[in-house]
Amino acid sequence: MSSQPKSARDVVIVEGVRTPFAKAGTKLKSVHAAQLGQSALKELIARTNLDVDIVDEVIVGNTGSPSDAVNISRVVALNAGIPIKTSAVTVHRNCASALESITTGFERIKSGTMDTVLAGGTENMSQMPLLVPPAITSIIERLGSAKTAGARLAALWDWFKADLSQIKEMVTTPPLSKTKYKPVITLAEGLTDPFVGMNMGMTAEVIAKEFGIGRKEQDEYALRSHQKAVAAKAKLAEEMTPFYLPPDYKETVTEDVGPRDNQTMEALAKLKPFFDKTTGSITAGNSCPITDGAAMVLMMSREKAQALGYKPLVRVRGYAFAGLEPERMGMGPAYSTPIALKRAGVTMKDIGLAELNEAFAAQVMACQKAFDSDEFGKKIGLSGKIGELRSDILNVNGGAIALGHPVGATGTRLVITLMKEMRRRNVGLGLATLCIGGGQGGSIILENEG
Amino acid sequence: MAAIQLTTQKIGSNEIAVLTFDLPGEKVNKLSSSVMKEFQAHLEKLKTSSYKMVVIKSAKPRIFIAGADIEEIRQLTTKEQVEAAVSGGQSIMNMLEDLPMPTMALVNGACAGGGCELILSCDYRIASEDSSTRIGLPETQLGILPGFGGCIRLPRVVGLQASLDVILAGKLLNAKKALKIGLVDYVVHPNLLEGFAAQQIEKIIADGAKKRRKVFQPRGLVAKLLEGALSGVVFSKAKEGVLKATKGHYPAPLAALDVIKKTYGMSDRAKAMSIELQHFAECAVTDISKNLIHVFYLTEMVKKQTGVSDNNIKGKPVKHLGVLGAGTMGGGIAYVAADKGVDVRVKDISHDANAKALKHARDLWAKLMKKKVIDNYQFTQKMSLVSTTVDFSGFKNIDLTVEAIVENMDIKKKVIAQTAAEMRDDAIIVTNTSSLSVNEMSAGHPRPQYFAGMHFFSPVHKMPLVEVIRGEKSSDETIATVFELAKKMGKMPVVVKDGPGFLVNRLLLPYMAEAAFLLSEGMSIEKVDKAYVHQFGMPMGPFELMDSVGLDVCVKVLNIFKKAYPDRVEMPALMEKLEKNKNRMGQKTNLGFYKYNDGRKGEVDQSVYTELGLGNPTNPYSDQECIERGVFAMVNECCLALDQDKIVDTPNEVDLAMIMGTGFPPFRGGLTKYADSVGAEYIKAQLDKYSSERKANRLKPSSKLVERASKKAKFYN
Repeated sequence: MSSQPKSARDVVIVEGVRTPFAKAGTKLKSVHAAQLGQSALKELIARTNLDVDIVDEVIVGNTGSPSDAVNISRVVALNAGIPIKTSAVTVHRNCASALESITTGFERIKSGTMDTVLAGGTENMSQMPLLVPPAITSIIERLGSAKTAGARLAALWDWFKADLSQIKEMVTTPPLSKTKYKPVITLAEGLTDPFVGMNMGMTAEVIAKEFGIGRKEQDEYALRSHQKAVAAKAKLAEEMTPFYLPPDYKETVTEDVGPRDNQTMEALAKLKPFFDKTTGSITAGNSCPITDGAAMVLMMSREKAQALGYKPLVRVRGYAFAGLEPERMGMGPAYSTPIALKRAGVTMKDIGLAELNEAFAAQVMACQKAFDSDEFGKKIGLSGKIGELRSDILNVNGGAIALGHPVGATGTRLVITLMKEMRRRNVGLGLATLCIGGGQGGSIILENEG
Repeated sequence: MAAIQLTTQKIGSNEIAVLTFDLPGEKVNKLSSSVMKEFQAHLEKLKTSSYKMVVIKSAKPRIFIAGADIEEIRQLTTKEQVEAAVSGGQSIMNMLEDLPMPTMALVNGACAGGGCELILSCDYRIASEDSSTRIGLPETQLGILPGFGGCIRLPRVVGLQASLDVILAGKLLNAKKALKIGLVDYVVHPNLLEGFAAQQIEKIIADGAKKRRKVFQPRGLVAKLLEGALSGVVFSKAKEGVLKATKGHYPAPLAALDVIKKTYGMSDRAKAMSIELQHFAECAVTDISKNLIHVFYLTEMVKKQTGVSDNNIKGKPVKHLGVLGAGTMGGGIAYVAADKGVDVRVKDISHDANAKALKHARDLWAKLMKKKVIDNYQFTQKMSLVSTTVDFSGFKNIDLTVEAIVENMDIKKKVIAQTAAEMRDDAIIVTNTSSLSVNEMSAGHPRPQYFAGMHFFSPVHKMPLVEVIRGEKSSDETIATVFELAKKMGKMPVVVKDGPGFLVNRLLLPYMAEAAFLLSEGMSIEKVDKAYVHQFGMPMGPFELMDSVGLDVCVKVLNIFKKAYPDRVEMPALMEKLEKNKNRMGQKTNLGFYKYNDGRKGEVDQSVYTELGLGNPTNPYSDQECIERGVFAMVNECCLALDQDKIVDTPNEVDLAMIMGTGFPPFRGGLTKYADSVGAEYIKAQLDKYSSERKANRLKPSSKLVERASKKAKFYN
């Protein structure tokens, strides 16, 4: 392992906590993203007995931007008991927003600008809104500015007609298709590439076909993800804070709502391809579910952590983001990882444990192929392959196919799961990486501090 | 030094007079007789001056005029004295009203009682929106009524219904509400008060500097009818409301109502004023008023106290509070602390237990939100302050932990030791025990100077009393911290020494036990409870009280008492019988002496008599005997607690604790004030009589009561 001398300005992660992740539309559906974030952050502060007065900034990733909490980081911070004086910023790098929060924190601390940063992410995908389409908003605007009773009545009549058309379209057109009057499904729009207009699932189809990854392989991968996640329940519980469900608190969510201990190949095989109905292989079973959840970490400069007597879990060795064709966004990790490795001064051989986000089984498997391919390495300007990403060190506690992928929170979840497992296995270096909608990859290299 | 400064000010080309109230050497402005005399002299001068307007304001930060001087009122003992003093005030307010030029009051801060009556005598009123601005007529709370024309002017300015709300309940309004009912004309930011007033003055002068006697204009037909032809309905409804709230024990609101009824719409001011004066004088000389003023002083006393004798010792701020045990008490404590902005971490052994505390708090805030007392943002903020845990995570950040777990000495000691190890060395732990020894428990704490008792009463969000139990080893700083925290939580703390039942339960126990004896001697549950509620003025009778405490708890505490004082505590046999029925534990099992439906009291459960082996009640005793046996039993024990064991320092604490902790009727001034009113000799004689006639050793006058009776000693001199 390539070692690096310790420095006072090293950036370390002291601890991390997340909420349970729950498949959208289930247990956490009515909990505001700010509340999810607050729950994780408050517990993180408690577990570290942190003096919140010393926090320099709170950085939270989020993609949904709830309209009643546009800088959601500030809302999370204040409700978690962070002082009024402390600044808070929300960051957005789509699927890597909660990795962006950590890398932003890294830069703030590394540069000497700050010493203590709370970073993380929160997302409630159940609450992504439906929007009134422009054809109807223009009528509502007319109604608002109507000066005469006649004009008002005319606008109301048009609104009524538009509503009838909307109902007709709802019944006669496919659910996800966009029409003139139907409400805009922001969740669907968010999962559609804005540059090439391709749904994320379709980008996975492209990769599956190009890398020749079949349906059965994908389903087998998905099954393993569930099996690993179920087996790791106790370990995953260590990184979680229970979520008490308001308003009557009859239930406390203590584990992820996603992993199935009864998942079978037969059940997976029954599912129809969701995106490409005729020749496709990507199903709801071998993709990650949309999910609600939040995750937070405490980052410090080494000197600060030492002065306060904290024993950090890991040090951040380096990170990278990189771009690629939006229609192959799932290959992102294969683009960003070699750069991150280089910046950290290590190679794939040094990596003892890895988390690669399971947006789609096909995309994970394609990345593994690319990592091990000289041809791919040369294509991206390396002298040879990036280096093998062995299955036995990859997503050992399951991944997003089972656990879910709350877009704005996953980056931090990967880091927490990775660093805790690095400690358990006494692994020196770890890699967390994920693909990013819009055509990017993000990677971070962590070093065990134990 | 003068309390009122007269200055002049140019507004445009006009000169106006400004009267600034600034009582030297005081934090607040009061309308004492000397201040009133000064005010009168200024008005005399202004009457013949050529100023275009007169403005009245205060130089005190966040105080306008807090009211008349209560001490002066308390000192007045005859109707003649009262009439002389108050009619003087009335005519000064009339002078203000009659000034030839328009007058304007600028209100920033408290404006109560006489202060409010003063601004009502002005033509224009502008208030600041500062949170300190509170305007109203709280006189009825002190057993009197507005006496400087408030009963006459407020109804004229804001109408009948709004004025009855203000005067009968004696509540103060914030600026927003004062504007809404028309008590003030404008509400502006405190920084803009003077500038805005100047603009208004300019307008008023430009319009001819007219006087204005604002008369409330009802809007809509219903309002017009209720203010006019149907005002009888309003009065009878109001009377009904007052009687329901006071059970007839508080004459002042009824007298105020009477004044308003007689004077509403009356054009003869002098006659109206004399009616107000008459009623005022009648109320002011009553014991009830004197007692209520006594209670007011008791609450003011607590505001100034720190809980320790050395004033240099300051309590440490408690920003983070730990609560062990998420039961009814723990949940209630978490609620009141978070409600006042304290971060609370509740620890119990399971998520299910913790969930109960969260629900308890959330439900209470949800109710406030529904009533629009708080908005949904405040709701979220308050809710966010409460977190829970099943381990000790976060306890290093906690300044003070309240232990509210099961009442078991060994378990408590163990948990306290555990908790102390998980907290900082300078953090405090307090126990919410109601029956166990704080001194004994302190052995569980490795640093007992950081340990004390903090006894809340149930339901925590309603009961204002907190007994701060000073253990032998508790440090001054610990006591000051707990005392300050209790005040921050909106409670009335009273420092007591350790001893069985501390103060309140020690006095209540003989009272509740006596009720059980009355029951076994043939009295009916209804008759005893009704006597206490209707005759004596208790908020609930002893049987209902036992139900709400829990019958099992009563027996448990009685046993502790019997152990502590075997010579004078008797366990009523029927209480032991009661304890055997686990379905009948009081309100919590929906069955006690009464039946309950979701916590709401229903009828007496008649089967209880047979269950206890009693025949049908024969009600052999008078109400007087029922009341005296219970109340005098408390006085009897109180003499020992105060004179012998010195559980508290003064009778003041006894009275405050009994009123705030048990709802002892405030109009009686508290237990010892009441005892003084009947006299120690009488109490001793009655107890002698009851103990021999009813063969009740327990009712024998205690040594300290005998001492007091022989010396004719009063608690208050």
